[in-house]
Amino acid sequence: MSVLGLVFSNPELYGSTLAMATPLALGALGGTFSERTGVVNIAMEGIMLVGAFFGVMAAASSHSAWVGLLAGVVAGGLISLALAWPAVRLQSDQVILGMAINLFAAGLTAFLLNTVYGFGGTPISTPQLPQLTIPILNNIPFLGAVLGQQNVVVYLMILLVIIGHFFLFHTNLGLRMRAVGEHPEAADTVGINVVRIRYFGVLIGGMMSGLAGVYLSIGMLNSFEVNMTDGRGYIALAAMIFGKWTPFGSLGAALLFGFATAVSFSLQNYGVSANLIGILPYALTIVALTGVIGRSKAPAADGLPYEPSK
Amino acid sequence: MTYKLLVYIVILSMKTNDSEGVSGRFMKNRFSSLALSAVVTLSALALPAVSAAAAQKHAAPIGAKFKVGLVTDTGGLNDHSFNHLAYVGVLDAHKKFGVKYSVVQSHQSSDYVPNLTTFAQEGYNMVIAVGYLMDSAVQQVSKEYPKTKFLIIDDAITNRKNVMSAIFDTQQCGYLVGVMAGLMNLQKHIPQINGKNVVGVIGGQDIPPVESYMAGFEAGVKKVDPKATVLQAFANSFTDPGTGQQMALSQISQGADIIFPVAGGTGTGVINAAKQKNIFAIGVDANQNYLAPSTVMTSALKGVDVATEIAISDALHHHFKSGVVHFNLANKGVGIAPPIKAVPKSVLKKVDSFIPLLVKGKINPPALLSSH
Repeated sequence: MSVLGLVFSNPELYGSTLAMATPLALGALGGTFSERTGVVNIAMEGIMLVGAFFGVMAAASSHSAWVGLLAGVVAGGLISLALAWPAVRLQSDQVILGMAINLFAAGLTAFLLNTVYGFGGTPISTPQLPQLTIPILNNIPFLGAVLGQQNVVVYLMILLVIIGHFFLFHTNLGLRMRAVGEHPEAADTVGINVVRIRYFGVLIGGMMSGLAGVYLSIGMLNSFEVNMTDGRGYIALAAMIFGKWTPFGSLGAALLFGFATAVSFSLQNYGVSANLIGILPYALTIVALTGVIGRSKAPAADGLPYEPSK
Repeated sequence: MTYKLLVYIVILSMKTNDSEGVSGRFMKNRFSSLALSAVVTLSALALPAVSAAAAQKHAAPIGAKFKVGLVTDTGGLNDHSFNHLAYVGVLDAHKKFGVKYSVVQSHQSSDYVPNLTTFAQEGYNMVIAVGYLMDSAVQQVSKEYPKTKFLIIDDAITNRKNVMSAIFDTQQCGYLVGVMAGLMNLQKHIPQINGKNVVGVIGGQDIPPVESYMAGFEAGVKKVDPKATVLQAFANSFTDPGTGQQMALSQISQGADIIFPVAGGTGTGVINAAKQKNIFAIGVDANQNYLAPSTVMTSALKGVDVATEIAISDALHHHFKSGVVHFNLANKGVGIAPPIKAVPKSVLKKVDSFIPLLVKGKINPPALLSSH
């Protein structure tokens, strides 16, 4: 079999694609929830880091990965309120706020890691979230190897994407969120509480980005390393834009980026330099923004502060 | 309220990180500015705070006036490898000679020049730059401050009288762990060994100090097990354990049962994957067995701590040597960590038999990968 045949027939490639896509999809989904209500969220990188750190910390001290998961999600929600409050209440510049949170989170987590655990790093006894084995799916050849045995967060992610889609496009609250993101004045005049909806969007988005971080630290691994998100928050941002601010679009984009990364892992083992593949996510985002693959249009009021009429 | 809490945490952290308390100078200068800082600035300060200049009460007189500044690369002090080891070396020098020290961690490559310059400006006698990636920054700053002594780890700067370059012949220790991996791969009765005769090596970035390990490893494996397949990949990051883990899983799916990560923090993901799949990993730079006691079978050691301490001692005693200083098996600048019990005595004996050959120069492993 040719090298390409070997690479593409290996189920590990697709398993790896899912694993690499999960944090991107969760981050992109989080960004979608925030931006659909009109709050630009470039803070996914920082929120993920915070979720990752507090996930490990809680898991290590409680000896339960589930407590870690919960703590990471809550921490992600809390740090996202640091974006929501000035963005919604004080009408501050949301891009600058997002950057500030990214820098803050990088400093905070590195500092806490040193302070709490010292230079040896997080304890090696930290529990990890379990791999799930899906009974029937697992027995199907090939598909079973890809989908049948993944970390619990991977399945959570798929579930959240489906629920997220249903929620945004098929419920009243979802419609209100989109209305607030498109035209807050109009939403306000029909009695929708713009401020509350925006808080809600950012908070839910923050919790999902927090879960992305949890997956990195106690899903894939059982430790925290300084800056371990390694730019995934920004790629998630790209996935959100490439996915046209929709849950399924975000997942699709994340899978594409994840696949590009996973292919580069396997190809390298056969001596192919994979640097070109490494730039794929960024190149695709530029393509998406130039409108070649259909127009990618942000919610109309995305990034615009809204002052409720008194 | 929150803000006060944060200030408190920052101060607390200085105390916990600095065994001998915060120096008065630091408190006076920084506290007033801290009080004015916004939350964001606080977080930025939080890291340099780790470094708080040490005040020495029991300083031996010889080093009391000698100040050493350590600048890490972006891997930071938590990298479980060479940044951390440089810090250990500085601490050793502090204990032995009573030198004063300060540490600054770099968050991005644009921090290198300002971090080095700050130490030089503040009159530090010796400034230590950890890593090949700081080459141009050291070139620039050492020219501007000719009276300051610099030590750069893993990089050869030969045109400055005030720069010492510590080069580690890590192809030698890479070769030894490669020999061990090759021999292990031929063993029949070890559950972790699958008989497919495949080993893997994962580099952080494709730079000389990483490549020398990898090239040595490959040569070592091939020496004792010429038919072995050596899978090779780069993560393009030293701080991405998630990618490290997936790359390792990819190599494991292609039959690898021993993987050698040369990738700083990324490597912890490789070691994690090896533990999950119950195959062997080999630690790098420091003895990393503590990360997974039953599967990290040995570690290729790089005596960054030894080199750092020697350089400080030399500068302190006016024996500073500029130019390239090699650290290798002969002067115990590199080596291998004691292996775990799963490694048979016969393998160990064979590995040891290569040490004199390397020391005497009868075997000279390549420092560059054959694919380059």
